[in-house]
Amino acid sequence: MNLLLALDPSSLWNGENGSTGLWIKIILALLVTSGGVFALARAPAQVRKPVIVAVTFLSGLYYVLFWLFPQPINRSTPSDAPRNMLEAASFWISDAQNIVANISNIIAGFLIGLGIYSLLRIHLRKIVKKQTDWGFSAVLVVSLVAMTLFGYWDWANRQSPAGGTIPFVPSSAWGFQQYARDLLFDGLLQQMDAGMFSVVAFYIMSAAYRAFRARSIEATILLITALIVMLSFMGVIQKPWDDFVAGTLAGGNKDSVLNGLKLSDTYTWIRGSIQTPAIRGIDFGVGVGLLAMGLRIWLSLEKTGGND
Amino acid sequence: MADELTKDVPKKSAGALLQSVPKNVLFGILFLFATFPLFLNIALPNKPLEESTAFYANLMKLPPNSKVLIASDWTNSTRGESGGEMEALLRILIRKQIKFGLYSTADPQAPQVARDVIARIAKEVADDGGPVYKPFTDYVVLGYFPNSEGTNLAVNNNVLTAFAGKKDLPEGGQQTDVMQSPVFTGVKSLADFKYFILVTASSTDKIIIERIKKTPMMFMVTGVMVPENVTYYASGQLKGLIGGVKGVYDLETLMEKGEPESQVASLPGTDKLKKNKMLKGTAYYPTLTICLFLLILFIFAGNIGMFFSRKEAK
Repeated sequence: MNLLLALDPSSLWNGENGSTGLWIKIILALLVTSGGVFALARAPAQVRKPVIVAVTFLSGLYYVLFWLFPQPINRSTPSDAPRNMLEAASFWISDAQNIVANISNIIAGFLIGLGIYSLLRIHLRKIVKKQTDWGFSAVLVVSLVAMTLFGYWDWANRQSPAGGTIPFVPSSAWGFQQYARDLLFDGLLQQMDAGMFSVVAFYIMSAAYRAFRARSIEATILLITALIVMLSFMGVIQKPWDDFVAGTLAGGNKDSVLNGLKLSDTYTWIRGSIQTPAIRGIDFGVGVGLLAMGLRIWLSLEKTGGND
Repeated sequence: MADELTKDVPKKSAGALLQSVPKNVLFGILFLFATFPLFLNIALPNKPLEESTAFYANLMKLPPNSKVLIASDWTNSTRGESGGEMEALLRILIRKQIKFGLYSTADPQAPQVARDVIARIAKEVADDGGPVYKPFTDYVVLGYFPNSEGTNLAVNNNVLTAFAGKKDLPEGGQQTDVMQSPVFTGVKSLADFKYFILVTASSTDKIIIERIKKTPMMFMVTGVMVPENVTYYASGQLKGLIGGVKGVYDLETLMEKGEPESQVASLPGTDKLKKNKMLKGTAYYPTLTICLFLLILFIFAGNIGMFFSRKEAK
């Protein structure tokens, strides 16, 4: 099977984008998968565990093969064809990656749905039972419904044959639904998003003031390093200082060792000689740890995470 | 009674006072000083970093009608940094008439946030007498993909099948397959996009650097992400790097003045644009400078206080 030509020929496994046939297949697949997941959840542990272990192993095996198996060099050329079984396997693994990526996208999409379901279940129960702070739950549910409603209304407009005539910036072609979506998304959500994040600056300031003390030699070195880095980001200090070093201290001599006192040069040295190697070391350690963790999950040796 | 109460409270020493500035005072000072420069149009002196210059120079070297692929993984929570980066990037791409495809793998809001910025900057450039940039003809928005690892690997593996079936809106038309867009004309592999540009405020930098291999990459990240990404620039994995507000200001400085030492030209139209409006980097860099100054000042005050307190204790 040539997975590059997934839509040609038409088969049970594909469908024209937006067609009724494709929608029916999506709904059927959803029902079958939900039934499978439900049956698995109800099955006894001795049945469920081997199924989960096998699915986890097969899923991981594909990506292990993808990384380790030699890849076709120029697979994007349609006339490129395998010459033997080994190459055919290589082609198959390469072509299947996009399908596997789509499957993983669909599964990740379901997680969003699961999140919404969980959110609604908790907050609707809180509203119905009028538990403490149920008003906040009501605001959350109303916001969720309003954003979904106007978001989809606007989206549906843009799917119509005249969709391209609706601009993305405010204009006379906008209807109520576009203004409502814009108010909710750009006017409220995005502003609150930015507002929430900006609060971090206040906590950074407060934490730095209270915790950044030269109590030991190590802390003093850290403090001086941080000071140099911060000053190097302040053009109003960095530029005059660098000009002073280059002009007065070094006397305009580009080869003078005193040029090393420039803030920009000192920062570059700190970055290149201390920071970068340190981060590389940390990244290497994290990478080895991730590899070990990945192997444990792939082989179902990792028991934490609530499998049982 | 009140006198008796105040008599019992020991008077704080200068050292203790310096170490215990109330939180509300700190927050108030920061708020005032961070807000004040936003109302002034001050162009502070600036020397662009080497990686910023490389980023700008690489884009300026591209001939018109080149193609780049953008992964836009930011939302307005980091608009001070990522928003400025995206705006500067778009001004360069549109002025240079470079076509681009854009997708997101970090946040479902990201494509809409990017679309809004593209529409705004395209209008700004067109109103300013620059090229008219049209959706679908000059750029396509390829949507949101929830699984970043699988999608980015697929983009590297086969960019055509990774985006197969995706549709976007041409101006005045209806949803059309993105493969019919001029952005994908002649594209056979990711290597046909001259650069892969990531604008991110999330961990997709790591995911992408591990997976994208077929075309050179350049990143635009937030200030806190700079240290970890500098390692990739130093190793040559990244051909350019823009980090935080300083990076945005670097780009705006380069757009306005170019880099005579590296013989990199300025971006046409920036002079006129800067006369009419304050660009994000130019507006926020004084704020960043003042915030860093305050940070240094308060750390200094705290340490002086500690020094005095220790002296008094002896």
